[in-house]
Amino acid sequence: MITAGIDVGTQSVKAVIVKDNVVISRGRAFSGFDPAKAGELAVAEALEKAKLSLADLKHVTATGSGMDMAPYANSTISMMGADAKAVVYIFPKARTIIDVGAEEARAVKCDEKGIMIDFVVNERCAAGAGAFIEAMARALEVKLEEMGPLSLKAERASSINATCVIFGESDVVSLIHRQESKPEIARAIFDAMADRVSSMVYRLGLNPDVALVGGVAKDIGFVSSLKRKLGIDILIPDYPDFIGALGAALVAASRVKEA
Amino acid sequence: MKNKNETKKYVPEIPQKEIEELRNSIKTTSQKIIAENIERMKKTSKNRAKTMQYFDENANFFGQREKEIQAAKASGKKVIGYMCMFAPIELILAADAIPVRVNSGWYDASKLGDRIVPVEVCPIIRSTIGAKMIGLSPYLELSDALISVLTCDGMTKLSEILSDYKPVWTMPIPRVKDSAHATRFWREELLATKAQIEALTGNKITGKRLRSAIELTQRATKAFRRLQDIRKGAPVIMGRDAMLVNQTYMWDDIKRWTEKTEALCDELEKMAQQKMWACPPDTPRVMITGTPMIWPDNWKAPTLIEEATPQGVLVADELCSSERLLYDPVGVDEWTMDDMLNAISERYLMASTCPCFTSEDGNEDRINWLLTKVKDWKINGVIYYVVRGCMLYAMEYTRVKRVLDRLNIPVYYLDTEYTREDVGQMKTRVEAFLEMLSARVDI
Repeated sequence: MITAGIDVGTQSVKAVIVKDNVVISRGRAFSGFDPAKAGELAVAEALEKAKLSLADLKHVTATGSGMDMAPYANSTISMMGADAKAVVYIFPKARTIIDVGAEEARAVKCDEKGIMIDFVVNERCAAGAGAFIEAMARALEVKLEEMGPLSLKAERASSINATCVIFGESDVVSLIHRQESKPEIARAIFDAMADRVSSMVYRLGLNPDVALVGGVAKDIGFVSSLKRKLGIDILIPDYPDFIGALGAALVAASRVKEA
Repeated sequence: MKNKNETKKYVPEIPQKEIEELRNSIKTTSQKIIAENIERMKKTSKNRAKTMQYFDENANFFGQREKEIQAAKASGKKVIGYMCMFAPIELILAADAIPVRVNSGWYDASKLGDRIVPVEVCPIIRSTIGAKMIGLSPYLELSDALISVLTCDGMTKLSEILSDYKPVWTMPIPRVKDSAHATRFWREELLATKAQIEALTGNKITGKRLRSAIELTQRATKAFRRLQDIRKGAPVIMGRDAMLVNQTYMWDDIKRWTEKTEALCDELEKMAQQKMWACPPDTPRVMITGTPMIWPDNWKAPTLIEEATPQGVLVADELCSSERLLYDPVGVDEWTMDDMLNAISERYLMASTCPCFTSEDGNEDRINWLLTKVKDWKINGVIYYVVRGCMLYAMEYTRVKRVLDRLNIPVYYLDTEYTREDVGQMKTRVEAFLEMLSARVDI
């Protein structure tokens, strides 16, 4: 049986096609101004890679903040529900999932069946999410993908207070004025983010194993700061940014079976 | 005493023309929102009691009730407004005055309040200030005096700001209520307020008048409890409808409100016999608790819950703008003046579960009441609702969550502001929460 999941995120739309519970292809497009169109592009890319057509998809489930705009969707699932499903599929022992996307960070508690039992979302603020790293990379005049490797070169830790992107930026500027080195500032930025994300996780309760997903899971700078803060090892799947779409595709498959 | 010659303490001068423009534009928006809310509430109910119509009409702030109060004032009656539900309504009624609650639920008015206090301040406070600045709220405007119970920091300073416009009678409230001196203190406050009410109205509160005022609210309490008890069963009324009924008590004529609520209960009981449900009986049963939700704008959380996919139904709440208003009767043993005043004092102080209270065991009364509600109303999940700046509710969340976790009752902390812009984000969260509850209900 072939099903698909579409994750309409704030920055990009991801599509995953699953055949008999195995991923066979992925597609991605920038959300931009027309998330529905981006959804079509992402699905088209995944279909092409799998050499399939739309008619082969038995059921399509959408997730993500723009899920109501997703094309072809037969049903929807919350982002937290999709995360729980996909992560427990990949890491059967995972019970806490941290999802850091472009504009939101979430933590989900789940059971052994991949059903979410509790969740928290960062409080309407982008300082704990990917957009923060982007803004700070601009302030430091380095490329986004250089931020992580740069931070690992830091010899000591400075600190900033990430209460919001705007104030975070002015904190970074004062570190620049104090002539701190770029690696140290980069590390301070990841530490501040990890602070916010970890206090959110502690409010939920930290139950091992812990998995980190979402686009920001690809940033080694953030990963190393978060590991330091939580003091435990963190599981990171391949393609962490496709977890939402994968969860949706798996949910689609179970919905076909139920029907 | 307020020095009449003193310049205003807080309020800036605003040109009359600007005031009128702002009032007209917010009032027009508000009338649209009231109509839209009612329409959506009608649409949500699969079956809706016909007797709801009275409350739908009464929900219009700029309608019949405003005219009624104006007419009563013209014939010499006084109107006494209040912000917190600790204000002793029986004393107001016994002096033949009209009680109205005047907290503001208008989002747009909160932006005007920002001219006087910072945005970090609770939006109910900012919005009430803004509403007064432009004369938006009919009931606040019609009030001859205000009773301000100093429950939280916001209310304390709000009373100072509103005293730029109207006489404000403050009633400090003890933060720890379980002691003989707290009871004595609160009773003294009641006596002081009683004297103020008598002076304003020129009517002496006699034993006979106070007794009939207490009997009036006792009947209201009885009808109110009957309505909440009906909601323990399969849903014959959506939560928003029940919340509206509860909330209109804050400005309606109490005798008529009681009759209409009894008629509604009669109809709801018949609907239950005929299994005419307001929504499918297996819809997850949600309770909402936290910051008061004031009609008409601040209706988004209950709207999101009851219009979500998957849907939830609010079968109970623990809000001082709804179910906390009237659940407890004034319990009188002997109809002497002394005993009646003691009973009023007890009913307002001891029965309240407001988070402004604490004790050696914390705010035990609220915790116990929440647990009772979860059990008796068969709650599947709790939404803990907080507006930014509402410190007491925000801080008490951790304790409430811990207690509910032990019972395996999911609870979600939904924080928001007086704005329409965050509805998308709130919807995502509310739907994820309801999805989680539905999965449990299925199991």
